[in-house]
Amino acid sequence: MKKIRIHEEYCIGCHLCEITCVVKHSPSGKLIKTFRDTNRPAPRVRVEEEGYVSFALQCRHCDDAPCVENCLTGAMYRDEETGVVLCDEDRCVGCWMCIMSCPFGVAERNAEHTHIGSKCDGCVKKGEVPPCVENCPNEALTYE
Amino acid sequence: MNEIRTPYLIVGFSVAGLWGARTIWQKDPEASIVAVSDEDGFYSRPLITYFLGGKSQSIEHRLKVPEGAPFTFLSGDRVEHLDTQNRMAFLRSGKKVLFDRALIATGGVPVVPPIQGLTNEGVFTFTGRRDLMAMQEFLRRTNPKRVLILGGGFIGLKTCEAFMHLGLEITLVELASRLLPLMLDEEASRYLEDALRKTGVQVVLKETIQGLEGNGEKLTRATLQSGAHLPVDCAVVAVGVRPNVAWLSDSGITVRRGVVVDAFQETSQTGIFAAGDVAETRNLLTGEWNVVAIWPEAVRQGKVAGMNMTGERIPYPGSLPLNALDLGGLALVSAGIVNPPEGAPFEVLVRREKHAYMKVVLAEERIVGLIMLGRIEKSGLYIRLLRERIPVTEFKERLLDPRFGLVNLPREYRKSWVEGVGMEV
Repeated sequence: MKKIRIHEEYCIGCHLCEITCVVKHSPSGKLIKTFRDTNRPAPRVRVEEEGYVSFALQCRHCDDAPCVENCLTGAMYRDEETGVVLCDEDRCVGCWMCIMSCPFGVAERNAEHTHIGSKCDGCVKKGEVPPCVENCPNEALTYE
Repeated sequence: MNEIRTPYLIVGFSVAGLWGARTIWQKDPEASIVAVSDEDGFYSRPLITYFLGGKSQSIEHRLKVPEGAPFTFLSGDRVEHLDTQNRMAFLRSGKKVLFDRALIATGGVPVVPPIQGLTNEGVFTFTGRRDLMAMQEFLRRTNPKRVLILGGGFIGLKTCEAFMHLGLEITLVELASRLLPLMLDEEASRYLEDALRKTGVQVVLKETIQGLEGNGEKLTRATLQSGAHLPVDCAVVAVGVRPNVAWLSDSGITVRRGVVVDAFQETSQTGIFAAGDVAETRNLLTGEWNVVAIWPEAVRQGKVAGMNMTGERIPYPGSLPLNALDLGGLALVSAGIVNPPEGAPFEVLVRREKHAYMKVVLAEERIVGLIMLGRIEKSGLYIRLLRERIPVTEFKERLLDPRFGLVNLPREYRKSWVEGVGMEV
């Protein structure tokens, strides 16, 4: 399985990865339409910044993912075909076990605090490159 | 057939048992496993409160026994006697199971204090599928208005959350001076009490029930220790659970509060392992032996036990008490030592906001305890720092910052922590 690789020394903190992620997961898929919508989805990748250091962080799809093991319902699961960790929102009851378990601190609640939100879903088909990687102007994210 | 022979016997089949079995099959998909359970099958116990409150449509978990796995499930049965010398289990049904290795995963049973009037209709414990079914039947038939919950611990509060969704009048009685006495401190409890009171729940601390009375048919009144009377239609006793070990009294297995296991989840009898709410394990932080009855521990212990039952020798790093909860819209996470004794070696960092509270307990420059309430994002990162005993000296002043993240950690951790394809630095 290909994973998104993070290179903090190339990250310029431009947040384009967040923007393209939001567009990708919005109903229209269009930049301006998406950002005029106040109900637009939250980004599934977040730029962490501290002084001059920055990098884009999203779910690492851990091998022994604690969020999957600790999920009370099985809402968090691994797609056997792609190896990606996904969240089935219909099953999520908002127990927050995954937030407590995520060793990178990337699991978050959605805006309404009802379910888990902004979970990287490895959004592309085989052979394609995720938009956060594709649109990074300085190759601070690569897909390999 | 009354005699069954198996390489692997699993007694009790909830989360620890299922993970034990899955781990054995991971190593050897052909391994035949016999499980004995007094339930009908595997389901997610913690989901019963979500189901009652209408937040979940089912108590089934996505995880199942893999299709085609060599599995014999003896449901509605119990092991009554375990002969550890001859490796035989005698079941209530009269069946006899001969095994090579066994996993004890019988979980916990609710503690019921000796209160008068427990036999009145409308008095429940609430830890399993049967409790759920009985409660639902009772709610449908009698349409109760006023419920009393005895115990402000994890189960009591989760039951409270379910009743809140059902729109019932709730009185919550807790003996300690705070809610979730093992997970919160007094200050954090005040936030939770406020959130509960805002939704109409009566929270009564430092109190307990002296007696319950009925009208001959069903529950009508509770009397508190103070002498106050409370009209109630339904009461839930949720003062805690204890390991389900009574059936092991003549087995020769060392039992204190729970079944004592070593670092490999093996009991005092070779070849017999224990995991989950029934097991007494070494605490990761204190080194003391205790029962840490939570889902994440049941998973981890079940995995280690399963591995070692196949002949591996994988040690378990120790149990960490931790949990998460959402009540009346207030989310909270707690882990480790949250009420340390005053003074060295403990250092306490606290951040207070109107609707959020955070407490980090340090000892020798390492995180040993955490409470996050209102704002729970990143709690997993703090808990990882705790588990891995990472010194926080370099970033201590940032620990309470709501923007604290991986970026605040020294480079060497950032690089090595990102699993699979690594993060370059």
